[in-house]
Amino acid sequence: MMTALSNLIAQERKTQRARLLIACAAAMAVAAGSVALLGVSGWFITACALAGLAGPIAAGAFNYVLPAAIIRLCAILRTGGRYAERVIGHDAALGALARLRPKLFAAILAAPVERALSLSVGDASSRMVQDVDVLEARFVRLPVPWGLAAGVLAGLAMLVPAGIAPAAATLGILVMTLGLGWVLAWLSAEVGRDVQRSIARLKDRYAALVSSASELRAYGLEDWAAQEIARESEALLRAQKQLTAWGGWFALLQAMGAGIAAMLAMALSAHQSLPLAAMAALGAAMTVDCAGPFLRGLEARGSWDEAARRLDRVLDNLPSPIPAAVSLSDRPDIRLLRPGARLVPGSVTGLTGRSGIGKTTILEQLVGLRADEAVTILLDGLPLPAIDLARLRATFSFAPQDAAMLSGTVRDNLLLAATPATSDDDLWQVLEDAVLAETVRGLPQGLDTWIGENGAVLSGGERRRLNLARAYLRAAPWLLLDEPTAGLDAVTEQRVVERLRARLAGSGQGAIIVSHRPAPLALCTSLITLTESGAEILGLPGWGPSRLGDHSLHIVPIV
Amino acid sequence: MTRLAGTVLTLDSVAAVGFAAALAYGLTALPRGLPAAAPWLALGVVSAAARGACGFVSVCTGAEAARRAKSILRDRMTRHSLALPLGQRPETGALMTAAIDRVETLDGYIARFLPAKAATAGLFVVLVATAIASPIGAAILAATLLPFIFLMILAGTAAADQAEAQFQAMMRLGAVFADLIRALPLILAFQAEAAETTRLAHAAGALKRRTMVVLRIAFVSSAGLEFFAALAVALVAIYCGFNLLGLIPGFIQPFHFGHLDLARAVFVLALAPEFYLPMRRLAATYHDRQSAETAADGLMAIAAQAPPAATAPLTLLTAPRIRFDNVSLRYPGHDRSVLDGFTLDIAPGQIVAVLGPSGAGKTSLLNLVLGLVEPTGGLMSVDGQVLGSLASVAGSVGWVGQSPLITAGTLARNIALARPGATSGEILAAARQAGLCAMLATRAHGLQTEIDERGSGLSGGERQRIALARFFLNPAPLLLLDEPTAHVDAASEAALVASIAKAARGRTVLIATHSPRLAAIADRIVRLEAE
Repeated sequence: MMTALSNLIAQERKTQRARLLIACAAAMAVAAGSVALLGVSGWFITACALAGLAGPIAAGAFNYVLPAAIIRLCAILRTGGRYAERVIGHDAALGALARLRPKLFAAILAAPVERALSLSVGDASSRMVQDVDVLEARFVRLPVPWGLAAGVLAGLAMLVPAGIAPAAATLGILVMTLGLGWVLAWLSAEVGRDVQRSIARLKDRYAALVSSASELRAYGLEDWAAQEIARESEALLRAQKQLTAWGGWFALLQAMGAGIAAMLAMALSAHQSLPLAAMAALGAAMTVDCAGPFLRGLEARGSWDEAARRLDRVLDNLPSPIPAAVSLSDRPDIRLLRPGARLVPGSVTGLTGRSGIGKTTILEQLVGLRADEAVTILLDGLPLPAIDLARLRATFSFAPQDAAMLSGTVRDNLLLAATPATSDDDLWQVLEDAVLAETVRGLPQGLDTWIGENGAVLSGGERRRLNLARAYLRAAPWLLLDEPTAGLDAVTEQRVVERLRARLAGSGQGAIIVSHRPAPLALCTSLITLTESGAEILGLPGWGPSRLGDHSLHIVPIV
Repeated sequence: MTRLAGTVLTLDSVAAVGFAAALAYGLTALPRGLPAAAPWLALGVVSAAARGACGFVSVCTGAEAARRAKSILRDRMTRHSLALPLGQRPETGALMTAAIDRVETLDGYIARFLPAKAATAGLFVVLVATAIASPIGAAILAATLLPFIFLMILAGTAAADQAEAQFQAMMRLGAVFADLIRALPLILAFQAEAAETTRLAHAAGALKRRTMVVLRIAFVSSAGLEFFAALAVALVAIYCGFNLLGLIPGFIQPFHFGHLDLARAVFVLALAPEFYLPMRRLAATYHDRQSAETAADGLMAIAAQAPPAATAPLTLLTAPRIRFDNVSLRYPGHDRSVLDGFTLDIAPGQIVAVLGPSGAGKTSLLNLVLGLVEPTGGLMSVDGQVLGSLASVAGSVGWVGQSPLITAGTLARNIALARPGATSGEILAAARQAGLCAMLATRAHGLQTEIDERGSGLSGGERQRIALARFFLNPAPLLLLDEPTAHVDAASEAALVASIAKAARGRTVLIATHSPRLAAIADRIVRLEAE
């Protein structure tokens, strides 16, 4: 079955074909060189001895130049080949990984939004690092079967002169070694899978706990957290140790296979001349030795299975080419079916209701961070799931309640919302509008000040205003502001609201403002209060129709 | 443990001598028929099995040693990461890379390098065995050893600098990726997928280049060593061959000293590669040592930032008196002070509300009490004990922050963070006191509702209530609240304020807030001015 991952690997194999061919050729040279080196050496020494024993004349006639040259050639072939195989193989593998990692991230971004957002930092990281690393090992081993084949051929060349029997015996032992290796691989697979899973669990727990170190400190729970992490760590270490112990069995298998093959080949070529017997014995040992890299590949099979499965679960989401074929106007209107209201482009609506009633949910559904399966919202009369996600998101600029920040500079965070045409002046303008320009000017490196992980260096109110400035920068027809002034003092809040009023008047953007506070709601031309039984739709409460002016009809109750 | 692994690997050299003898004497016995050769052939099989067994035991003991070392180091790194002061803390992704991925590099060092280092003794076993068969062959081997070691050290030091750069690139990639996952909703909402994927691709590309540089050095050096070993073996082979052919000039071998027969020649030749094996094994794991050392340096650098671990917790039994005495605070790398000469005396049981514009240092004041940051000037004391690296109130405070910690798991488990091991009845009571009833009523599974790491589906007010429930579950004599009503509507605020007032009774309370309604429950109001 072709999975997304095997497709990607096939694709990489195609782009790296030239390198992989060289690596295969090098692997073959290494294997054949190693086998021939020892075989010919054994033959050479034995032949020398026999010539020496036969007396000075035979010794003088002995041609030692050619075998010596072959030995040197084999040594060079082996060393050079191994270097080439390693460098080129690793270069190809690491290149493949460097391309795979961003693809993995792109797949996460393209996943159904609930799945993408439910992925924890630790879990994502273990896929990105450990699982991809297993893939690297796999990629590096692509030339291994070729090396094994070349080693077997070279081995036969050493063995056949001594007869069919030693050759057949060596092949038999090689097959047995590989067969037993396969059995070991089958037995150890579960441990390998366990290692991959354990590391994911450890990272998951580690990231979750360490990122809340402040709270843990407050509750005096650092010790508890360290023990929680240690428990996962111990589970991983145990699994790793077991896997390594299985590796010991593989080493034992290889060593015994090579030793038995050498002795058997020697015994079976007893009737031959000594040089041929020496060549057969050493050649047999090295032939079985060639199975080593192959066995190590088998050893990693469990880890590989699990890593591939985990990567596939993410990669299956690679961008699907099914664009929704509905057209959306540049300034669509919004219908909220549950409260039963229509928000016309350019209008400013306040959304209130008790905490937990689902105000944020509406904003998140609009911006495609939460699926609207029950169809409670229409855009230009279309249900949200029918609208192309990119088109939907382009309609909104969102200032979320948690005021999340990228770890980076003030500029990095603003540029998230920028277009290539955005200038520094634009950045300062939105900072002015969010009443943050003065603060940023006071920072040591201004726009380029590092604000720490999730804006840790900024105060809560500063982060909130940067969040707002970022939303202003994006020229979308609708602004979605979730608690834009929470945590601001009354004076700053008033200034933020005034600037927002001016900004909205100038840009003609529509806005939905979720707030509990009177100041930002005063901007709104209409107000929706969500309640358990439905919603109350009003002009501004108590202010009378005159204050609503021309906008009083922007909310049209439907039903 | 690693010494045991090393000793076992040294025995591997003994077995190698056995195998070489089996090969040499088995071969020369062959003309006398299979029965004559059989004992030697048996020795060969036994030696091969012994080599395999040595490998097996050394792998297992090495793995156990590595497991112990990694366990200790990782635990220490975790504790340091948790104790890092705010503002000096590297990103979670970088810390995770350090404590998990980099600690793994110890594996190669302890399980492979150290045993290989101990097993270099095997070299002398082989040398003695060779000398018995052919003193001159042994002399050739011994003479080539020094340049071999020199070459190895040269290659090893070249890798050191590059390993450091690779370590940094790896931390960078880990940090960028973890940050992108954390900020996923932002990237999606602002459609920054392409730009951020490119940023990640750059970090991944940088790691690839750095890794390749390190590997290239490692491969070049091991190829060099291998070639050198092959050259030395060839030298021995030529000597043996010429010796057997009787072509060695008399001044090298006066009176036929050390004249070889076939068995001894084959023995020496089969043994020659084994002489270099311990050194090559060491060279092959040399970069394990480099990366472990670099990792250790990097880990130490992180550990050095953490305050001394021996912070003695002050156990508060009654509502404490808190004094700020001319306290100043400035975050590293910032030239603007957050607090400057701040003085305040809070009597036991007093409720103090801190008001002031955002950025005036309200949260920092609370962080100071918690010991998350250290004052750059002045003193803070709790019940007359000066807070700082030697004493902290952590563990004796209730805390409701701006963004309460939510972990993946059930709602009950989230509340029970404040007191792992609380019964479900106690958790429910705490949830009720914190005003979570309305929320529990709307969730089908109540307290057993599953929540993801981001707390999806929890409103801002609900998060604050979870934090407050934690306080009720583990009430402490000191309560710190940071904008607990920022995200709630007027009606909920009134209810929450009532809950807080209840919680505050008989405790020393410090509240940072903008809400006049919350400030109204305070005995005293302190206003901070922005700089």
